[in-house]
Amino acid sequence: MTRASSDGDAVLRYAWVVPALPLVGAAVNLFFGKKLGRWAGVLASALMLAAFAVALAVLGDLLALPAEERLHVQHLFDWFTVGNLQVAADLRVDPLSVTMMLVVTGVGAVIHVYSMGYMHGDPRYGRFFSYMNLFCFFMLALVMAESLLFLYLGWEGVGLCSYLLIGFWFERPAAASAAKKAFVVTRVGDTFMLVGIVLVFLRLGSLDFSTALLDPRQPGTARIMELTQPAGVYTIIALLLFAGAVGKSAQIPLHTWLPDAMEGPTPVSALIHAATMVTAGVYLVARTHVLFEVSGVALTVVLVVGLLTALYAATCALGQDDIKRVLAYSTISQLGYMFFALGLRAYAAAIFLLVTHSFYKALMFLSAGSVMHGLEGEIDLKKMGALRAAMPVTAAMFSIGALAIAGVPPFSGFFSKDQILEMANRAGYALAWAVALVAAFFSALYIARLIFLAFFGQDRTERRAHESPPVMTVPLAILAIGAIFGGLVGLSATTGRLQVFLGPVLGEVEEHTQALPAAALSALSVSVAVAAILVGWFVYGSGRIDWLALRVRLAGLHRFLAHGWYVDDVYSTGLVAPAKAGSAFLAYVVDSRWIDGAVNAVGQLFQWGSSAGRRVQTGLVRNYGLAFLIGVVAVFVYVGFRL
Amino acid sequence: MAPDHIVFWVFAPISVGSAVAVLFQRNAVHSALFLIVNFFTLAVFYLVLGAPFLFAVQIIVYAGAIMVLFLFVIMLLGVDRDESLVERLKGQRPTAILLGLGLAAEIFVAVRASLGLAKGPADFDQVVNEGGNAEALSRVLFRDYFLPFEVTSILLIVAAVAAMVLAQKRERARTRAEAEAFQVAGPGGGVPT
Amino acid sequence: MRTPISYFVALSAILFAIGTVGVLVRKNALVIFMSVELQLNAVNLALVAFSRMHGNLNGQVLAFLSMVVAAAEVVVGLAIIVNVYRRLHSANVDDASILRW
Repeated sequence: MTRASSDGDAVLRYAWVVPALPLVGAAVNLFFGKKLGRWAGVLASALMLAAFAVALAVLGDLLALPAEERLHVQHLFDWFTVGNLQVAADLRVDPLSVTMMLVVTGVGAVIHVYSMGYMHGDPRYGRFFSYMNLFCFFMLALVMAESLLFLYLGWEGVGLCSYLLIGFWFERPAAASAAKKAFVVTRVGDTFMLVGIVLVFLRLGSLDFSTALLDPRQPGTARIMELTQPAGVYTIIALLLFAGAVGKSAQIPLHTWLPDAMEGPTPVSALIHAATMVTAGVYLVARTHVLFEVSGVALTVVLVVGLLTALYAATCALGQDDIKRVLAYSTISQLGYMFFALGLRAYAAAIFLLVTHSFYKALMFLSAGSVMHGLEGEIDLKKMGALRAAMPVTAAMFSIGALAIAGVPPFSGFFSKDQILEMANRAGYALAWAVALVAAFFSALYIARLIFLAFFGQDRTERRAHESPPVMTVPLAILAIGAIFGGLVGLSATTGRLQVFLGPVLGEVEEHTQALPAAALSALSVSVAVAAILVGWFVYGSGRIDWLALRVRLAGLHRFLAHGWYVDDVYSTGLVAPAKAGSAFLAYVVDSRWIDGAVNAVGQLFQWGSSAGRRVQTGLVRNYGLAFLIGVVAVFVYVGFRL
Repeated sequence: MAPDHIVFWVFAPISVGSAVAVLFQRNAVHSALFLIVNFFTLAVFYLVLGAPFLFAVQIIVYAGAIMVLFLFVIMLLGVDRDESLVERLKGQRPTAILLGLGLAAEIFVAVRASLGLAKGPADFDQVVNEGGNAEALSRVLFRDYFLPFEVTSILLIVAAVAAMVLAQKRERARTRAEAEAFQVAGPGGGVPT
Repeated sequence: MRTPISYFVALSAILFAIGTVGVLVRKNALVIFMSVELQLNAVNLALVAFSRMHGNLNGQVLAFLSMVVAAAEVVVGLAIIVNVYRRLHSANVDDASILRW
C-alpha cells in the first residue's frame, strides 16, 4: 500500500537523484572527458559515491516506515500515451528495489575507484567512465522501474552499455566480435521478453507492477483486475519473461556470450558481468514471482534451468586456463544457483545470494585484474604460480573471495549457499538437492584450482610480478569486508534481517520440514567444500601430481570442458553458419546481383534505347527531309479527316 | 476552243514535263535549263491569269537573274560533272515518290471542296486592273502593303551583305611551317588541289 | 477566260509535289535548291490563281513579295553552298554528314 507522502519521507521524494547522478556524470564525461583528463575518473567515482549515500538515505527513510507500508511510487513525468496504453516514468521504492540500488551504487562506486587505477593511461579514459556511469544509470532505471516498459528501457540500456564496454578496446577484433556476440545472444532473449511484456499488457491490462503483479489467487484481486486469465496465460507470460532473463543472466542455452565477454576491461567484467547486469534476470524473476507462482510449470522450468546451468558451468570452469574465463563460468554457475533458489520459491534466499555474490565475485574479478596488472597483462594460469610472495595483498584478497565462493564459514558465501541447500532439502526435491550439492563440490574445486595454480606451487611466471597500487588494493579490501561480513544480514532463511526486510515484497518464507536437521545440512555442505579444497590442493598445489601430464592423459575430457561442452561450436555450425550463409546469399546474390542488377538494368535499358534511338541521326539532310515530309503528310491526313 | 484553253493545255504539259525533267538530269546545268523553261511557262500562266506585271517580273527576275546566278555558281564550283544517279539510301526514292503523290492528292482533296470548278469574275481586267495592272498593283502595294514592302527592301540589303560576308575567303590559321610554305609558294600552299 | 481556276491550282499542286520529290531524291545541293525554287514558284502560281478567283490583287502582291524573298534567299543560300563546297570539296549533300551519331 502506498502512503500519502508527508514530511517524514522527504528523501523518498528525491529517490530520482540516485539514477540522475550517474546520468549527469555520463553526459559530462561524454562531452568533456578529454578535457577533464584524470579528473574524469574522479568525477565519475564521486558521483557514484554520492548516489550511494543518497541510496542509504532512502533506505533510512524507508526503514522509518512500518513494514507493510514500505512502498513509495514516485511519478516523474508522463512518457507517452497510445490508445489504452498510458506509459509514465514512475519510480518504485520498496525493499527489493532499495536492496538492488544499494548493490549497484555501492559495488559500482568501489569499482569506479578501482578503475581509476586500472584504466590509467588509456587513451579513451574519459569515454570509459562515461560508459560506466551510463551503465549505472540504466541499471538503476531497471531496478527502480515501476512499469515493465520502463524496466525494459533499462534492460536494453544495460545491454547497450555492455556492448560498448566489452568492445571498449575495439581495435582488437576479438573484443569487437565478443561485444557483437553478447548483444546478439541477449537479443534473442530480449525479443521473447518483449513479447511477454506485450502479453502482460494485453492479458493483464496494465504494465505497472502495482496492477499487473497482483496475485489473482487473492480474493480482492478479481475485482481490481478486469480480466481473469487461465493459468496457461500466466505460464506463457512467465516463460517469455524468463527467456529474457536467460539471455541477460547467461543461463543455458543463451550463456555463450559471457565467457567471450571477458575481452573487455576487468572492471567491466566485475561490474557488469558479476555484480549487476547479469543479475538483472534474477531481479526480474524475483519481481514478477507472482506470475511464476500462479503458473507452477514456469517455476519448475526456472528451477531445472538454474540447476543444470549451475552444474554445467562448474564443470566447464575446471577446464579453463584463462583466469578470467574461470571466473566467467563461475558467475554463470552462481547465477544458476540463484535461479535454482527462485525455482524453489526461496526468493529472498536468491536475493541474498545475489548480494553476497556481488561482493565476492567483484572482489575476485578485481583481484584477477590486479594479478593481470602485476604481470603486465598475463592471463594464462599455466604461466602463473607462487605469486603470493610477490603480490601478498592481492593473494590475500583473492583467497578471501575464494573461500566465500567455496562456501566456507564464516564467509558470506557459506550462509547464502547453505540457505539455498536448506530450502532444497525438503520433500520432493531430493534429486535437485543432491545435484546442487555436487555442483557445490565442483564450485569449490575449480576455485581451489584457481588459487593454487596462481598463488601457490611452482613459479612458472615469465615476467616479474609486482603488487598493485593502493588505488586498486583499497577497493579490494572494501569488497573483502563485504565478502567476509556480508553474511550477517541474512543469517537465517526465515529470520535473517534481509529476508524479513524483503518479506512484504517477496512473500513470507514458509516453514517446512526438512529431510535432515539444519545443523547436519550445514556440516555436510562445509565438508563438501573442504573436501573439494583438499582435492584441489592435492592435485594442483602440493606438487605431488604432475597436473600437466594429467591433462595430457585426459586430453579429450579437458578439451570437452575447455570448450564448454562444445555448445558454442554447435551454435556456430548449426545457427551462425547457416545464418551467415543466408545473409551472404541475400547480400551478394539478392542485393548485388538481383536488386542492383535490376536497377542497373533500368539504366542499361535507357542506354540501349538511346543507342538504338540515336541511329535516327544519320546526319543526312535528305533523311531529315523525308521525315519532315512524312510528318507533313500525316498532318494533312489528320486534318483532312477532321474536316 | 477558246484561246485560254489552248494556252493552258499547251503550256501545262510543258510545265509539268520540264519540272520532271529537272529531276532526271545527270548534269546540273541541264537541270537549270529545264527549270528556266518551267519558269517561262509559269510566266505565260501569269499573263493568262491577268497579271502581266508578274509575267514580266518572273522572266526578268527569276529566269533572268536567279537562274543566271545559279548557273554562275554551278560553273564556278565545277559541279556540272555528271552525277551518279544511283541512290545509296535505301528506300529513299520509293518513299519520296509515294509521299509526293500523296501530297498532291491531299492538296487536291483539301482544295477541291471549296473550289469546285471556279471561275473568276468576268470583268477582272476592267475593274481590278483599272489603269493597267502595274498601276493597280502599285495602288495596292504602296498603300495596303507598304510595311511589308519596306521590310522586304531591308531584307534585300541584309541578303546582299550576308552574301558578301559568307562568300569571302577567310585566312585560316597557319602553322609556322605552313606560313613559310605560303611565303615561298603563294596562296594555295603549293599543293595541287 | 473559261479555263476553270481550279485547274491552275491543280497544276500548282502537281508542281509542288514534283519539287518536293526533287528535294528528297537528288544528291547535288544545287539541284536540291532548284527544286525548292520550283516549289516556291508553284505556290506563286496558286497565289495568282486565287487572286483571279477572288477578284482582288492581294494574291498578286503576295506573289510579288514572295519573289523578292526568294531572290534574297537564293543569294544567301548559294553563298552557303559555296562555303560548304570550299570545306568539303563536294556538292554532294550526303557528304555533309558529320552531325551523325
